[in-house]
Amino acid sequence: MRDVAIVGAGMVPFGKYQDKTLADIAWPAVKQAVEDAGIKKTEIEATYCGTALGGMMAGQRILKKLGITGLPIINIENACSSSSTAFREAWITVAAGIYDAVLVIGVEKLTKFGGGTLPLEKEDWEVSHGLVMPALYAMRARRYMHEYGLTENDIADVSVKARKHGVWNEDAQFRKEVTREEVLASRPVADPLKLFHCCPSGDGAAAVVICSAEKAKQYSAKPIRVIGSEINSGKYMTGYRDMTSPKITLRGAKQLYEEAGIGPEDVDLAEVHDAFAIAELLYYEALGFCAKGDAAKLLADGETSVGGKIPVNPSGGLLSKGHPIGSTGVAQIVEIVRQLRGQCGQRQVEDAKVGLTHCTGGGVSGFDHGVCSIHLFAR
Amino acid sequence: MSEELQEALNLAGDAVTTDSDGAVRLVGSECGDCQKNVFPPSDVCPECMSENLSPIKLSAEGKLYSWSVVHAAPKGWNLPFIAAYVDLPEDVRVFAHIVDADPDTLEMEMSVKAQIATLGSDESGAPFESFAFTPVQKGDS
Repeated sequence: MRDVAIVGAGMVPFGKYQDKTLADIAWPAVKQAVEDAGIKKTEIEATYCGTALGGMMAGQRILKKLGITGLPIINIENACSSSSTAFREAWITVAAGIYDAVLVIGVEKLTKFGGGTLPLEKEDWEVSHGLVMPALYAMRARRYMHEYGLTENDIADVSVKARKHGVWNEDAQFRKEVTREEVLASRPVADPLKLFHCCPSGDGAAAVVICSAEKAKQYSAKPIRVIGSEINSGKYMTGYRDMTSPKITLRGAKQLYEEAGIGPEDVDLAEVHDAFAIAELLYYEALGFCAKGDAAKLLADGETSVGGKIPVNPSGGLLSKGHPIGSTGVAQIVEIVRQLRGQCGQRQVEDAKVGLTHCTGGGVSGFDHGVCSIHLFAR
Repeated sequence: MSEELQEALNLAGDAVTTDSDGAVRLVGSECGDCQKNVFPPSDVCPECMSENLSPIKLSAEGKLYSWSVVHAAPKGWNLPFIAAYVDLPEDVRVFAHIVDADPDTLEMEMSVKAQIATLGSDESGAPFESFAFTPVQKGDS
């Protein structure tokens, strides 16, 4: 396997673009990534495009706008992990020596559904009985509160931290701080989760260009190396499951750290899948940033804020940026690239050398998550 | 099975039945080869891939694992509702609504029992129903 590096990154600010087509939302992100890489569009040998609800051939619809056509364009659906999966698949082709330069896109337009909770597959048994994503995370939260003494204040503080970081990110939807009291006073969605515990919906796109590490030197003085790539599906279970422990993330993180030859203590910052505030706390533990049951303390000590030991979601996370689901995986990677390059201004994590992205996808009963993809990057 | 109950089963289909004493029972599948239980019913065993499955009536009572009072859901559901996971003794976890309960009185691991309940209504306004669980009152079972 060859070493792989990211040479270009781009994204459009996440927001509400009801009046734009999916292609019109996405092409500026792609153009930005290609220009950032300084690569000729004709040098791109393949494209992997992740979208969950964008409809058929999203990649072709986007790339015809920029005339990047006549190459393999592969569209990938894997719920909220669609574009982290696309990145992983693209990485495999470059690492295996099949292609030298590949474009990865993540895109979603959720405003076409008119708001509300994420539309899930109605053939699923639990969905057919009223399961919605906030309820699933709320049940995780309640069980964790019961077993580990977590409080509603602790969960609210995740949103407070996320919004604080979001103020510094011009690509985030929410750029205003909130207080714990405002979080707790926001309208109930799925008790104990309130509106401000939930990521906003929205539209968005992100893109990166990856190359073999050898070729990357041609394009970038500061290529960002991919030092680990991992994907897993959840294990289907019909009976008891401990909902306080996201096993798919635990398994994936263990595998990834082994592959990369580093440990959680070597990670300088992480972008994790905080679709709901409780999730971020569970992932501190699953990714090894703290021991089981210690997540609230890690947050309260400021260790996961910019300036702390292991800043998590310096971008503001999904809670500030929003979660146009198919775009999220690549958008997380764009943030890590910018952080490792030192381009993040006020939210810059000082001397960041190693970054992690973590993206899950759910909505199918019997799984903790249907998919989880984790990546490690280094400068 | 009574006429009334048949009308009530539109969401759960074959996955629910009633005993002669009126107790509502969920129906899953039991694998004839590895004895794994699954719910809802399936034609194939997720453990050993056997197709030798037969219906199994699951216990009417289970334990509440977690719950949430849901205020946001697609059109049709009666809001708010209490969503829950209930663990049945046959090592089957069931997603269900909790009905006829004050959410403030719910407790982890409390006993709940199956019943039929109206959960919402379709676009024409016709109610839809399915199984749900309700807390077992002391001295009840």
